[in-house]
Amino acid sequence: MVLAFFDTLGSTFLRAMDTTGDFAVCSGRAFAAIFRRPFDGKNLMRQFQAVGINSIPVVVLTSLAVSMVFAVQLAFGFRQFQAEGLASQVEGLAIVRELAPVITGLMLSGRIGSAMAAELGTMQVTEQIDALECLATDPIHYLFVPRLLATAIMVPLLTAFSIYVGYWGGYLILVGVEGQSAFVYGHQFYTLLAFRDVRIALIKAFVFGMIIALVGCWKGYRTQGGAEGVGNAPTSSVVTSSLWILIADFFLTKLLLV
Amino acid sequence: MALIDVVNLSKAFGPKVVLSNVNLQVEEGESLVVLGGSGTGKTVLLRNIMGLLTPDAGHVSVDGKIIAQLSREDLFKVRQSIGMCFQMAALFDSMTVFENVAFGLRRHRDHTESEINARVEECLSLVGMRGTEHLKPAELSGGMKRRVGFARAIALKPKILLFDEPTTGLDPVMTDVIGRVILDLKHELGVTTITITHDLTSAFEIADRIALLFRGECIACQPPPEFKVNPNPVVQQFLRGDADGPFLQDPPPPKRKPKETQA
Repeated sequence: MVLAFFDTLGSTFLRAMDTTGDFAVCSGRAFAAIFRRPFDGKNLMRQFQAVGINSIPVVVLTSLAVSMVFAVQLAFGFRQFQAEGLASQVEGLAIVRELAPVITGLMLSGRIGSAMAAELGTMQVTEQIDALECLATDPIHYLFVPRLLATAIMVPLLTAFSIYVGYWGGYLILVGVEGQSAFVYGHQFYTLLAFRDVRIALIKAFVFGMIIALVGCWKGYRTQGGAEGVGNAPTSSVVTSSLWILIADFFLTKLLLV
Repeated sequence: MALIDVVNLSKAFGPKVVLSNVNLQVEEGESLVVLGGSGTGKTVLLRNIMGLLTPDAGHVSVDGKIIAQLSREDLFKVRQSIGMCFQMAALFDSMTVFENVAFGLRRHRDHTESEINARVEECLSLVGMRGTEHLKPAELSGGMKRRVGFARAIALKPKILLFDEPTTGLDPVMTDVIGRVILDLKHELGVTTITITHDLTSAFEIADRIALLFRGECIACQPPPEFKVNPNPVVQQFLRGDADGPFLQDPPPPKRKPKETQA
């Protein structure tokens, strides 16, 4: 009974270490392969399109929805003690520091990370990744690197875009519905913000982008078990990358705000 | 020295031993056909030759280089001299036929676009697939996919071609077509080939030597005429295609008598 418990505990620990090590090795190989030739510009452009351009509608809708809901909550809350003017300031702070990077990261982990896991997972079970190996092509270089570069560059850009959309979401509620002055909103949105906050948001988005690509690609690359494995890879990718985005957000916030 | 030398190769997955002390030598220009029941390690043998799997014991050497001991860069150099044709073709489904065949050329050769076009056309002609350049793999039949897979494998002018069950799942006519394509490639390119197949007709056409894997071991490796008269009961049972005999580990279901006899 006791031995069985320690046996299970030990094997679970070893499996966890094995998985962590494998992810670290794959990630390390992906970073090391960034500057290796041949450079596949066409593949990179395709990833920019998939990660960046095609994600704009999702980012617009989620940023708009979240910023509008947040503005409604702030207007209601601050009205309790006649401080409606603070709503736009807190809206600006919340959108730039937290909502834009985290919401963009979470939405893209669902849209992009899952697609990467499904695509690479299908390639794995249909032997396309073995075919790459046989054609003397490193799958990490060919598959991971363009996706890693595309997310690391496009997620910060989409976050900046999300901040812009968030500004107008707050504007719609606080100016359009709550009747605040447009001039005051425009001025106060930035009152509590410094350039450092934008920099922190973009650094967070950069890290989230790398998490999304590395987890998505790794989950797909390690897919086993045919259709069931391909089905599990995107789900597992979204759960893992979302979790790591939230954990990384906490530590980045603590680290960068000091 | 043999171009491909498989020495005491053993490979197991967990408790299941798939290959046990397999020894095979393939000379330059020779065509070896590997036969064997399902799950006897034929594909595992090819994957060890390509370096996609690492042997538990023994080694595979290609052109004097021990595959498992090569650095990744050196392994990729060796792989450029080997063309692998997968059982289900393994074409890149996001690319067209042209892009699939041109893939290796674009990555490993400094060819101009017109040179690539010419080489792709030449490869597709060799396998009878000209005019399909703009199609996607999803638009091709099973036999066409295999042939495009062959074209992709020969694009880099390899010294060795490995065919992993190229006729499995195809109708008899397409099986014959694929057999002819393999023969054409063998004669026109003069390459060394290892073919895994269950189709005995094409095996005897293609092979200079035939090997039979049985329970992870190579129990025969002979030229076709000698293989045909090999006294080993496993070889004879395999050639007859009979369920009764030592080939199966579990006894097969009893043979039903024809209806007339029953009456």
